[in-house]
Amino acid sequence: MEEEKKGSTSGFWRWAIASVLFRLILVFFPKNLHLSSRPEVSTPLTSLRRLSEGYWLKQSSMSPYAGSMYHGSPLLLSILGPLTALRIEGQPEHLLCGLFFILADIVNAMLIRATGQCLQMAYSQRLKALDLVKLSAASGTIQSGNLAALVYLWNPFTIVACVGLSTSPVENLATILSLYGACTGLVPLAAFGWVIATHMSLYPAILIVPVILLLGYGPDAPPRKVFLQKEYKNGGQSNVQVIFSWRQLVHFVFWSIIWGTYVLVLCGISVKQYAGLQEMIRRTYGFILTVEDLSPNIGVLWYFFAEVFDFFRSFFFIVFHMNILFMILPLAIRLKHRPAFLAFVYIAITATFKSYPSVGDSALYFGLLALFANELADIKFSFFLFCGYIGVSLLSPVMHNLWIWRGTGNANFYFATGMAYACLQIILVVESVSAMLDHDRMLMKLVAARKHVDSKS
Amino acid sequence: MLADDMACNARNKYPAQVFNNENHRLNLYGDNVEVDYRGYEVTVENFLRVLTGRHETAVPRSKRLLSDEGSHILLYMTGHGGDEFLKFQDSEELQSHDLADAVKQMKEKGRFKELLIMVDTCQAATLFSQLHSPGVLAIGSSLKGENSYSHHLDSDVGVSVVDRFTFYTLAFFERLNMYDNASLSSLFSSYNPSLLLSTAYYRTDLYPRQMEQVPVTNFFGSVMETIHTDHPYRYSKRKGSSKGKIEMSLDQAVQDEKRRILSNLGDQNIDSDTKCPMGSMIHMWNSILDEIEKFEDRDTLVYYGLVMMLPLLAVSSWLSS
Repeated sequence: MEEEKKGSTSGFWRWAIASVLFRLILVFFPKNLHLSSRPEVSTPLTSLRRLSEGYWLKQSSMSPYAGSMYHGSPLLLSILGPLTALRIEGQPEHLLCGLFFILADIVNAMLIRATGQCLQMAYSQRLKALDLVKLSAASGTIQSGNLAALVYLWNPFTIVACVGLSTSPVENLATILSLYGACTGLVPLAAFGWVIATHMSLYPAILIVPVILLLGYGPDAPPRKVFLQKEYKNGGQSNVQVIFSWRQLVHFVFWSIIWGTYVLVLCGISVKQYAGLQEMIRRTYGFILTVEDLSPNIGVLWYFFAEVFDFFRSFFFIVFHMNILFMILPLAIRLKHRPAFLAFVYIAITATFKSYPSVGDSALYFGLLALFANELADIKFSFFLFCGYIGVSLLSPVMHNLWIWRGTGNANFYFATGMAYACLQIILVVESVSAMLDHDRMLMKLVAARKHVDSKS
Repeated sequence: MLADDMACNARNKYPAQVFNNENHRLNLYGDNVEVDYRGYEVTVENFLRVLTGRHETAVPRSKRLLSDEGSHILLYMTGHGGDEFLKFQDSEELQSHDLADAVKQMKEKGRFKELLIMVDTCQAATLFSQLHSPGVLAIGSSLKGENSYSHHLDSDVGVSVVDRFTFYTLAFFERLNMYDNASLSSLFSSYNPSLLLSTAYYRTDLYPRQMEQVPVTNFFGSVMETIHTDHPYRYSKRKGSSKGKIEMSLDQAVQDEKRRILSNLGDQNIDSDTKCPMGSMIHMWNSILDEIEKFEDRDTLVYYGLVMMLPLLAVSSWLSS
């Protein structure tokens, strides 16, 4: 067992270093292989070209939001802006930014691995508490942390998002940081990650629910009914308590207020001389919520909002954003015993229905999906989904080319691949949730069967 | 108006260059010389049209005298002349009464306020003997019956390069510096008849003011010499527009203090400006303000804030673990 673990760890490091080298090779290609101009990779929110334009505007003493080019955070502008302006002779442009994003990806992978280790440890502890050690031994062959990190690093979507110079790796870093902080119980870290992720792209705000659940209840556990059955067997005294820790919640609120005001103050200082915080909010969050930019992307909103009448625009904004919001509560109720998995489901839903999705968002939830590889081993339609994703990622650039460059197709071609992509994501979410619930039901059946056997004997 | 294109003449040994001295120090045909009428365009008719402003509609603005009732005009004429005339193109003459009529028309049309006529020909003073319009000054290089002579011969080029009257006028101006505020009387009295070999006669009866009160800059301008350097202009990063928007809680005295210090352009001697009782406090304020000035931008403040986030995060995580 020890040797297996060591072997798997060294294998992990080899694969991880190989993926980093692969990215380095790709980054040094000239013109980033034209990946940064693909609409699937760079959206109005994540495009580095727009960020460098915003930085140039700021250097010319104009507001970085002038002209509706840059719609991100001014703090990101301060960090990445000078990197875009630095040029090294003889190297492709934006090389430093590419290296920065590779670094962000490495940190993401390490954080996913640490989160996976923490989750797996908690899970095996819970299984031991349930006297299901054999199950834990059987399922422990896959180190979910290592697998998830490798899946994240070698996912073509991640590589494309990193090499294609979108700021998705940085947004994913903030999200994963908050999940890691929540899993390991580091409240300031979780609050920091959540505040930064919300500040950069609005949608991670809904991750407050799984983060609070993680901090309150601890990492994943089988449903409470399973423990209740065990309690009944043991005669009332259980050594596994599932109480919600209000102290952690108060800490989390306190720290998120601190980080929130800190970030707002910094942004306020940064944009004060131009138009102030109001303009910043209008141009970043207002831009996300009102879907001002209708250039094609891999999502489903642009096509619809290109056709809708102005009179109904605000109504349909509300409809589309409620589409995400109304799923929060039922999922939270059903999956509150597995907050990390809940976070994955939320991220997948936002990646499907957000205003400007890109493959960088898919990169994140694929990494998180692999964290639950043990529980989701019996997921249905996995092969269909796998082939579907490959097909969509190959067809989407083709249809874009046919539509825009050759003119032999039209917008429906491209939107069809977008719709197929959304369908695949929805199927993935549905099947993964049902697989997780099946796994919990299986645990309950095992505990019940054990109890029946014990009571019989 | 240049009747003969001396600079580009085929016999000019120095093509496109005209010197006013044997030492060839000054090229009069430089980049900042603008000639509006040259060659066959220099006729008496065109001259009178320029003065009176009676042009055909097709004549471009660069060939018109665009003056109004407040203008000061310098009219300098040189060449061959005689009793009551000036020779144009070896075939025409400008007569003194024609000149006087043109000036009278100019006055009536309000095309000048003050006019200085300088004539450097033989018997030059006769050319402006018929003038009647007020506000006109005139000086000629010689009286009736006298000749005007050239100054010296440039044996390299083969012709005389400057006339005496012109030479001594130029010498007068080259003696001046920027702050001299010389008057026209000093100019008019600088002409020495023994050096000119003629009598420089001037007419001031039509001019309302005294000669001593009229500066030469009324009619003459200076040539600014621009020196091109390769060094970039040292622009101090203090953006004046953003200064006004920095809202710091200062009382007015300190604000004025800051402005005075800024206007001294880096003068480090702050102590001389401080008021004695509050001297030390203002000094401290100023040093704090200087620190913030050194940030050069708000961006540096934002960078510090961002960089501070990381240790804060690390410390807080370590404390709560």
